Amino acid sequence: MSSFNPLKILHIDLSRELPSIHPVPDIAGLFVVFWWQNIPLGHSWVPLSELPMSPVNITERALTAITPAVESYLMGGFIEVSTSTDSFSGFAGDIKTLTEMGKPLSLLEERIALSFKASKAPSVSVIVCTRDRPAQLARCLGSLQNLSHKPDEICVVDNASRSDETCTVTAGFGDVHYVYEPKPGLNVARNKGIRQSSGDIIAFVDDDVTVHGDWLDAIQGAFVDLGVMAVTGLALPAELKTQAQYLFETHWGFGRGYQDKVFGRQFFERFRSRGVPVLEIGAGANMAFRRRVFDDVGLFDERLDVGAAGCSGDSEMWYRILARGGICHYVPTAVVYHYHRPEMEAFHRQLFYYMRGHVTALLIQFERHRHWGNLRRMLLSLPVYYAGLMIHGLLYGFSGRKSTLKSEILGCLSGVKFYLNQKQREKCN
Amino acid sequence: MIFSRSIPKKYVLLDIEALQPIPAMSIPENASGMAVLVRLKSRPVDFWMEPLPKDKPFTSRELIGWINRKSSISLLKARIRDELTPPVKCTRLPSLTVAICTRDRPRQLARCLKSLLRIERAAFGVPVSSSILVVDNAPSTKVTQALVESVPGVDYTMEPRPGLDFSRNRALKEAQGDLLAFIDDDVVVDGGWLEGLMAAWIEYPDAAAFTGQVLPYELATAAQVLFEQRGGFRRGFDTICYGQTLPGHPEYPLNAGVFGTGANMAFQRHILNQLNGFDEALDTGPPLPAGGDHDIFYRLIREGHQIVYKPAFLVFHDHRRERKALIQQYWSWGLGVMALADKWRHKNPTERPRIRYLVRAWFGLRFSELIFAVLRRKPFPFYMILTEMAGGMVGIMGEYRRSIKRIHRVRKQFP
Repeated sequence: MSSFNPLKILHIDLSRELPSIHPVPDIAGLFVVFWWQNIPLGHSWVPLSELPMSPVNITERALTAITPAVESYLMGGFIEVSTSTDSFSGFAGDIKTLTEMGKPLSLLEERIALSFKASKAPSVSVIVCTRDRPAQLARCLGSLQNLSHKPDEICVVDNASRSDETCTVTAGFGDVHYVYEPKPGLNVARNKGIRQSSGDIIAFVDDDVTVHGDWLDAIQGAFVDLGVMAVTGLALPAELKTQAQYLFETHWGFGRGYQDKVFGRQFFERFRSRGVPVLEIGAGANMAFRRRVFDDVGLFDERLDVGAAGCSGDSEMWYRILARGGICHYVPTAVVYHYHRPEMEAFHRQLFYYMRGHVTALLIQFERHRHWGNLRRMLLSLPVYYAGLMIHGLLYGFSGRKSTLKSEILGCLSGVKFYLNQKQREKCN
Repeated sequence: MIFSRSIPKKYVLLDIEALQPIPAMSIPENASGMAVLVRLKSRPVDFWMEPLPKDKPFTSRELIGWINRKSSISLLKARIRDELTPPVKCTRLPSLTVAICTRDRPRQLARCLKSLLRIERAAFGVPVSSSILVVDNAPSTKVTQALVESVPGVDYTMEPRPGLDFSRNRALKEAQGDLLAFIDDDVVVDGGWLEGLMAAWIEYPDAAAFTGQVLPYELATAAQVLFEQRGGFRRGFDTICYGQTLPGHPEYPLNAGVFGTGANMAFQRHILNQLNGFDEALDTGPPLPAGGDHDIFYRLIREGHQIVYKPAFLVFHDHRRERKALIQQYWSWGLGVMALADKWRHKNPTERPRIRYLVRAWFGLRFSELIFAVLRRKPFPFYMILTEMAGGMVGIMGEYRRSIKRIHRVRKQFP
């Protein structure tokens, strides 16, 4: 574990002349993200042994990585996700449209530019919740200054920081609004942010990300559809320097793919009896909501997410929106770059809280909606899944994906305990 | 029960150009399915097989539906490839010798030559200087020689020692071209064959070998359909450059079947000479009628070279028509793979862990195929898989060393 070579992240814009990639010493390989201008289309892991790569090699790699995403834009418009397995097979159009399509990528650009342009309307507040991470916060706020389209308001919610550095950093950015929330808890901070901001659309980014220049245009573009209540976007890794970051990206990650996806009624009903996989919708590090949805379904549940159960505050909100018939739209063109935790210990802890939050969220979703699928997922699907991984681990060794099993399983158990304790406390009050 | 399953009789082969309207079709009555090659601007982009609906006439409308469903991704990919690839600029192309090794099969040879002579000797507007060389291997009659002499522009040479790799090495000795292509006598080359090879060379001028797509020439018997359904010689429609590793394959490059097949391959002649050509103890005809192509691919990779697979470098192979011949072919494939594993185990002791992995993985895969076949999840007859496994057993138990002894005798016989 000590001798982990970092991976280099390389962004290639296919609309420009392709470079040759030469080997770099002391790296294990490359994580190559393929773009067409500002549209991310796919990625590919390239081990060092395959370098150098000529433009021809790169083209072949790119084709395999990007074709599904291009198809999703050109053929289907948006995919209404109804299953996670056969998400898309064959296109709805005619073979004629396809063959007449001389240059699919240029066409793609036109279509997406259209949706960007359509987005003039509603005002946007960007909310960054943070706690004692001034350096990361400064990096994040810095990237927000470079947006091609400025938000109406940027609001930093300082969640019970122990030092006043957060305040100092925020003050350095002129027009950024600073709010202090003394009660620790990410969802507490998010709710404070919602109350203290004024935009029709509220976009949340974590303090450990940086945003792409066109991030906000993509988010706003998606809200043009009035049925869309929540928008999520792509979170690419910002660095893959340590084993913890590599494991996180390969087995957990925030990446939800490069295909535009719409999650609505169909998706919800299909999975209701088995537990709706709301985590597939996106990641809390990069999400936005229409303000009025909070009037309909309420604010974030303060029992969830960092500082409380662990996480899943975001997905539980999507669950409520879907249950009320709202639409969540995953827009891969809304890109942020996430800095995964570099230390292995923090990574274990993070997974513990992930599973703890996930299980708590399942119980809370059951409590709110009485959808039995949530319990089924907790009592059947998860135990079966972990039993399978345990058996695999016993047979082939606990490495890679299985190196964090203990933290995860303890997290699940802890989630149940956490939920019951909270119930107890509510009763006492 | 196992023997009484219905086995596909005959498949219709269709060659569809996506940019042109799909022609009206006449499907023969006894056809039980169709195999479709989809092209875009005459380059192959997809191939699939589908059983025909029973008791219902099949219309071109349904065919369009199938193509939409199955080939849209491939067609789109081809379109994107065109968009990303700058137009080919070249002023010089390498000279080429096409070698066809044959033995007493004049009918197939004539068909193969005809297809070769029909294609234009130029690629991307640049003329290619090329020659065709027929190597007649230990012929029993003069028919082949007479045939070749009747066709202008085809050279003839004779190799008295029986064995395909004796013939190939003879071709290597006599060839003049920068590139030396080998095709089997039972193939027909596609119109884009030469351009496909030259495109591969332009993209990867330093690669040591080029392999190409091999599709069925006909699917007129059950044996041919079965062979193609199991994957045949197909290797997909992406250009692949094989280097020193292949992710997900710890046994690489021992799984030399990934590179392609000897029915359609080309080499830089000087590199082939550096390696002293083919191993004459392989491809000897019975009892070891396989392995020479995989052996040379493996050695090229081990010497640090690259092998490029190009789908447009396309031939159509006339598969064996009889069930018995198909069983024999699977026997010899199993035999060949394992005889090679045995050879490399002795030549190259550092490879042993990888060879152990290969042997285990190969038999493991056959075993799981066998289970599927017995459970009737796949239409492939289980006894063919058993035959292949048996061939593998014989191969690993010293077949290569026995073959060495045999060719010593052959060499003595023809000094």
